[in-house]
Amino acid sequence: MNEQPVMVFHDVTKVYPLPAGDVTALDKVSFIVNRGEFISVMGPSGSGKSTLLNLMGCLDTATTGDIYISGSRTGDMSDKELTDLRRDRIGFIFQYFNLFPLLNILENVTFPMMLKSQKAVDPEKGRAMLHAVQLDDNLFTHTPMEVSGGQQQRVAIARALINDPDILLCDEPTGNLDSKTGAGIMELMSELNRKGTTIIMVTHDQNIASYSRRTIRIADGRIVE
Amino acid sequence: MIFWEIAKRNIRIHLLRSTLAMLGIVIGVVAISSMGILGNSMVLTVSDSLRTVGDSVIVTPHIGGNAHGGFGGGGGSTTLTISEQEFQQIKRVSAPNVAIPVLQTSDRMKLGVGSDDIVAAIYGLNPDDVPDFLKLQEGDYSRGNSGVLVGSTFAKDNNIKVGSRISIGTDGNKGTLRVTGIIEERGMAFDVSTDSAIVVTKDWFDDAYNRVDYDKVVVKVKDLDNIASVKTAIEKQMNRRDTTVDVMDTRKTMETLFQAFGQITTFVSAIGGISMLVAGVSILNIMMMSVTERIKEIGIMRSIGAQRKEVMSMFLYEALILGVVGSIIGGALSLMGGYLISSMMLQTTKYLFVPSSLVHIAYGMSFGIIICLICGIYPAWRAANLNPIDALRHE
Repeated sequence: MNEQPVMVFHDVTKVYPLPAGDVTALDKVSFIVNRGEFISVMGPSGSGKSTLLNLMGCLDTATTGDIYISGSRTGDMSDKELTDLRRDRIGFIFQYFNLFPLLNILENVTFPMMLKSQKAVDPEKGRAMLHAVQLDDNLFTHTPMEVSGGQQQRVAIARALINDPDILLCDEPTGNLDSKTGAGIMELMSELNRKGTTIIMVTHDQNIASYSRRTIRIADGRIVE
Repeated sequence: MIFWEIAKRNIRIHLLRSTLAMLGIVIGVVAISSMGILGNSMVLTVSDSLRTVGDSVIVTPHIGGNAHGGFGGGGGSTTLTISEQEFQQIKRVSAPNVAIPVLQTSDRMKLGVGSDDIVAAIYGLNPDDVPDFLKLQEGDYSRGNSGVLVGSTFAKDNNIKVGSRISIGTDGNKGTLRVTGIIEERGMAFDVSTDSAIVVTKDWFDDAYNRVDYDKVVVKVKDLDNIASVKTAIEKQMNRRDTTVDVMDTRKTMETLFQAFGQITTFVSAIGGISMLVAGVSILNIMMMSVTERIKEIGIMRSIGAQRKEVMSMFLYEALILGVVGSIIGGALSLMGGYLISSMMLQTTKYLFVPSSLVHIAYGMSFGIIICLICGIYPAWRAANLNPIDALRHE
């Protein structure tokens, strides 16, 4: 196993300059995520969870401090390099699934593959990934609107995993599902973690956080636990 | 490519909106193309009418100058003319090209017993020059002074046939001539317009109207490349002291005329272009709507690894599809519209299926596609440059 941490935050501060005055969303945050970990990030509303998620997902850059993803420092990267990093190293799972309504299930899953290869791709890997998240073949040609919320989130997980990312970033993955379906999704994620996938999950639900093996608690932009 | 597929599907899912935007492009292409086709068809129509005189240099007495011109005398009016001596000079500098002296007037004539008098143009030509000059559709060239050739329109309008008699002058006082041939249609002409006229021999003309000098001299230039040099040679010879003659190069005149027609066509097509600009605004509008509706989708794409240029390409593909489909439909309708307009206005469609007309359809279609792409650039750029975080939060 590669011992290099998949993610390192070192004294990361994020300040939003606003007309009414600067707002410090994160204040000297440091932590390390090792390969194979399942971490939940918890905190009250306005604590800086979303800012942390955006920085972890390379959607935003730190005001000060250093962030390393799979050994690469993100602070000096161009937009194109950050986009490539998101595509190749990070898988996103959103609360509202965020599938593309114009594409069918299989196309949604293979979309990141197409972004990476810049050409038509073999759908077989997409099918295998959908089987891995326990979806039947007969759903593959349906559009996202034609399947249930739980099934949509499974498709989103398959899409996030298709390019074999180093980290799976999840933003309230069960927040839009009933408890039974949510439990099914969390079982699936636990299974993926047991197989080696590194997962960082932002949630405010203690039950959901209990599936993780480590919890980072955040309040007022600082890690408190 | 997946972005091409998404662009296609987005158009299909918003078919009504896309069709309405495309309709603007269709109208724009039709406006530009059909105006261009019509203008070109008119140019070709006139060009066909004038083509028989595109090889001539026409020498006329200088109007308004202190010319040598004599006082010729058809009908007692005072006109400037070209003398026999001047004609010989023109003939000499024009050689080996044929110089044809032309006499012309108009007079009353009676076409049969009991018919009303009409007034028509009369040309006097040397019988030897006529075959070089005029082609007959029926009959023979006049050999004697009692023969006359008539223009095709004149013959048709007055029911004249070979063998018919025409009495010239008031009460036929100039004499009666027998029609020996009918001249092929020549259309409008700078030299002699015979379609609605009659052509008599020079000798008969001299006797009837007491004329010795000429109204004009037409030089038929064999090699069209020499037309300008023949014109210059005549001017140099005849106008070396005073300006005694005006020399017109019909080819140059036609070029100027066609240039003017071309400018008119361009101007009219440009008016059609305004409708294309309006269509462009409509494309811009629906593309902006498309971007606004899909902000979240753009955010998702960007967050999972789509580059800015890929997002931009998706919207440009959409604009391109609207432009290409609208332009193809517009091009097809232009062809049909051009056919109808040509049939109705010009009574012929032979000028429609020629490259110089069809190229206007290509212009219209190209303009349609380019306008769509230009109007798609800003929305596509805006989509590509959205902040992924803001786009993801968008509801």
